[in-house]
Amino acid sequence: MNDRNRPPDRNRPRPGSPGHPSDGLTDGRLVELHSQLSRDKDEPAQGFSLTPIFIVFLFCGFGFWAGLYLTRNSGQFSPGVFDLDAPKVVADTGPKIFEPDAAKGEKLFLVICAACHQPTGLGVPGAFPPLVGSPWVAGADERIIKAILVGLVGEIEIKGAKYNGNMPNVGATLKDAQIANIATYVRSAWGNSAEPVMDTKVAEVRKAIGARGQYAAKELLEAHPLEIK
Amino acid sequence: MKNLNFLFAGLFFTIALPFGGLLLSSQIQLGSLSRAPAEEGGPLFPAREPGLAIQGRAVYRELGCVACHTQQVRPAGQGSDIARGWGSRPSVARDYVLQSQILLGERRLGPDLANCGARAKSDDDIHALIRDPHSAGYSLQKPDFAYLYILSADGKKARPTERAVALVAYLKSLRQDYASPEAKLKQ
Amino acid sequence: MSQDPNYRRPPGRSPGNPSRAPRGEAQLRGPFLFCFGSAILWLLLASVLGLVASLKLHLPSFLNSECLTFGHVVAAQKNAFIYGWACNALFAVNLWLLSQLGRFELRSGWLATLGGFIWNAALGYGVLQIFTGNMNGFSLLEMPREVGPVLMVAFLLVGFWPIVAFARRPTGHSFASQWFVVGAAFTFPIVYALTQLLVLWCPASGPVQALVHSWFIQNLMLLWLGASGLAAVYYFIPKVLGRPLHGYYLATVAFWTYFLFAGATAPSALLGSPIPVWVQSVGVVASIMMIIPIIITAINFHGTLFQRGGWAQAWNSTTLRFVAFGAVSFTLAGLLNTVFSTRGFNAAVRFTEFAQGQEQMLTYAFLTMVIFGAAYFILPRLTGALWPSAKLIHLHFWTTALAVIGSVAVSLVHGYQAGHQLLNPAVKMAQVGSSSLALAGSIFAILFLVGHLAFALNAFSMIFSSSAPTASEAQSD
Repeated sequence: MNDRNRPPDRNRPRPGSPGHPSDGLTDGRLVELHSQLSRDKDEPAQGFSLTPIFIVFLFCGFGFWAGLYLTRNSGQFSPGVFDLDAPKVVADTGPKIFEPDAAKGEKLFLVICAACHQPTGLGVPGAFPPLVGSPWVAGADERIIKAILVGLVGEIEIKGAKYNGNMPNVGATLKDAQIANIATYVRSAWGNSAEPVMDTKVAEVRKAIGARGQYAAKELLEAHPLEIK
Repeated sequence: MKNLNFLFAGLFFTIALPFGGLLLSSQIQLGSLSRAPAEEGGPLFPAREPGLAIQGRAVYRELGCVACHTQQVRPAGQGSDIARGWGSRPSVARDYVLQSQILLGERRLGPDLANCGARAKSDDDIHALIRDPHSAGYSLQKPDFAYLYILSADGKKARPTERAVALVAYLKSLRQDYASPEAKLKQ
Repeated sequence: MSQDPNYRRPPGRSPGNPSRAPRGEAQLRGPFLFCFGSAILWLLLASVLGLVASLKLHLPSFLNSECLTFGHVVAAQKNAFIYGWACNALFAVNLWLLSQLGRFELRSGWLATLGGFIWNAALGYGVLQIFTGNMNGFSLLEMPREVGPVLMVAFLLVGFWPIVAFARRPTGHSFASQWFVVGAAFTFPIVYALTQLLVLWCPASGPVQALVHSWFIQNLMLLWLGASGLAAVYYFIPKVLGRPLHGYYLATVAFWTYFLFAGATAPSALLGSPIPVWVQSVGVVASIMMIIPIIITAINFHGTLFQRGGWAQAWNSTTLRFVAFGAVSFTLAGLLNTVFSTRGFNAAVRFTEFAQGQEQMLTYAFLTMVIFGAAYFILPRLTGALWPSAKLIHLHFWTTALAVIGSVAVSLVHGYQAGHQLLNPAVKMAQVGSSSLALAGSIFAILFLVGHLAFALNAFSMIFSSSAPTASEAQSD
C-alpha cells in the first residue's frame, strides 16, 4: 500500500503490508490543523504578511474597474440595446439627418424677425410687409432663403399694398439649419402652408450667392418670379 | 464556516444573486417582447413560419445540425458576421419571439444560418448542398445527408424525402432581413 | 521522497489520535464501487465516441448515417463524459472524501447505490434517445426532457450524502474540501431543476433560454465539477505531502468569491449574442473577478508544492502526480477563461474550436486528472487490494497527460487560427480550418482511448480481485 510516495514504476505493492498508509496527515489532524490555521492568520515560519494586503488591493482594484466597466458598457441597462457600438453610431449620424423644426424656428423668429414682421406675421402697414399669405414666402425656396441671408431693399408690392423697406442681412450670422427652421416656421404658421425648407438647400444657396450685399426687390423677382400674384 | 445555516444561507445567496439579477431580470425585460412592424403600418416581423417549416425545424433539431451551425448574427464590432454577408444587421431578442425552443448554436463549423432564407437562391440549390455538398463545391467538413434523398432506379436522379422538403422549407424561412425597432438595417 | 518528519504519521494508529477510522467503509464500498465502476465504463464509451467525432471532423463521410451524425456523436460524447464519467466519479469521490473528513458512517448505502443505478439507467436511456434524434438543441441538455426529473431524483439519492456527512460531523471544525463539496452538492440540483424548468418544460422567452443554458453550463462546469475537483485538490495536497496548505486562511475568501462570481460569468459565453448589452457586461465583469479565487487557489496549491521539495514529492507519488497536474491545469484554465471572456479576445475566438479547448482544460486536464489521482488513493483502501500493474499506471499517466496537453493545444491553436481567419471577410468559410490539426486531434483521441483502457483494465482487475469487505475494514485509514 505504499504506492503514494513511490514512483509509479516502483509501485509494485508489497503484499502483507496493509494498515500502514504512509500519509503525512490523518484526516482528523488535517482538519484540526487547518481550522487552527484559518483562525490564527500568522504563519510563524513564513514571511507571508504581504499577501493579504495584496489581495485587498486586488479586490479594490477589480471593484473599481468593474464599476467603471459597467457604467461604460451597460447600454443604459436597456432591454433594447444589443450592440455596444450602436449608441455611438446613432450619435454620429443623428445631426446629419435634418428635420426642419418649426418650433425651433418660431423661437428664432420671435427673437430676430418679430421686431419688424410682428409675432403675428402681419407686419406694420406702410412700414413692414406682412408674411401672412405673402406670395414671397411661398414657392421657390431660393427667394425666402436669399431674403433672410443677405436682406432685401427696394419697393415691393404685397396684396395691393406698397412697401419701401430695407431688410438687413439677419441670416448672415445664422447656421443653415437655423435659417431652414425659421423659413419652415414662416411657411407653416398663421395659415401659411408651403413646403418646409431643408438646411441643404440653404447651404446650396449660401454657396451660390457668395459674399454680396442686399438684394434689390427687382433683382430677386427677376431671378425667382412670384408663382402666385 | 462552522455554522451550517450560515453556509447554506451564503450558498443560497450565491445562487439567487445571478439567477435573480441576470436571468429573472432579463426575462422581465424581454419576456413581454412581441412582433413589431418594420415600418409603420407594415406587416409584423418576424413572420410566422409556415407549417412545413415547423416540421423542418424538428428535422433540423433531430439531425443535430445545431452542432455545427449557429443562428445568430453578431454586431459589426464583434466578429465579421455582417461583413461576411451573414446578415444585414445584428440579431436581436425580438427575432426569436416566435420560437418555443431557440437553436442559437455555439459552434460554427459551417456558416451561420440566421439569414439562410434571405440568401438562398432556389430549393434545388439547398437540396444539392444537403445531399452532396462536395460536388456543390462546399467545405470538406460538411457531411452529406444523402439518406434524406431517394435515388431513382437508374441512380441518376435523387428525389427528396418529405423530411428533406420540410428541412429546406425551414431553412428558407430563416431570415432576419427586416428592420427591427432595436436594430436598423445596414445601409 | 523526503517528508517532513514533524508531520510523518507514526506507524500504526496511535491510541490517542482523535481521528479514528470510520467503520462505515463496508457500507461505503458498495455505492462507491458501483458509481466509480460505471463511471469508468462511461469514460470508455465517451473516449470511443470522442474518437469517432474527431475522425468525422476530417473524414466527414466516416460512419455517416442518420443515427451517427456528427451532431449526435458529439452530443452523446459530451453527455457520456460529463454525466456518465465525471458525475458518477464525483458521487463516489465526494462521498468518500466527506465520510473521511467528517468521520461519517454511511448507514443506508443501498440508497446511494439505488440512486447511482437510477442515474445510470436514465442516462443510458437519454444517450440512446440522442442517437435516435430525440434531442434538444442545448449542449448538455440534449437528452429528452423526461430524463431530467429522473436524474434529479437520482442525484438527491446518491449525491446528497456528502451534505449529510458534513451536517453530522462530530467536531465543530471544518476544512476547505468540505465547503467545496457541500457547495457543489447543494448548488447543482437547484440549478439543474431551474434550468430544466426554464429551458425545457416552460421555456423562457427567446434568447433568455440561451442565457439560462449558459448559466447552467457555468454552474455545472465551475460549481459542480470544478468545486468538487477543487475539494479533492485541497484534500490530497496536504494529505499526501503531510503538511498544511500554504496561506490556508485565504481559502475562505477563495470559496466565497468562487461561488459568488462563477454563476454570474454565464453571459460572458454569449458575447455578441442577442441578449442585452448590460447582461453581457455583467458577465465580463464576473469573469474578470474570477481571477481572485484563481489566484488564491494558486497560492494555496502551488505555494504548498513549491515549499520543501513539494514538486519532487508530488512527482514521486502516483496520486499527487495526477492531482498536481490537475491543480496546475485549473490555474491555467482559469487565467485563459478570464482573458478570453473580454470582448476583444472573445470576438476572435467565439464559435470556434477554442471553446472546446477551454472546456477540455477544465473537465479533463483539471477535473479528470484529479479524479484519477483520487482513484489511485482511494481504491486500494476501499478494496483492500493493490494495483495489479505498475506498468499500466505508468502508461495511464503518460498517455492521458500527453493526450490532454496535445488535444488542448490542438483545439486552442486551431480555434485561434480559424478565428483570425474568420475575422477577415474575404476568407471563405470553406477555407477555414486545417485538416492536419484535425488529424492531430484524432491521434490524441486514440491516445486517450489507450490511456483509459489501461486505467480500466487496472481498476477492474483490482476491484474484481479484491478481498472481502472485512479486509478493507482492517486496513482502512
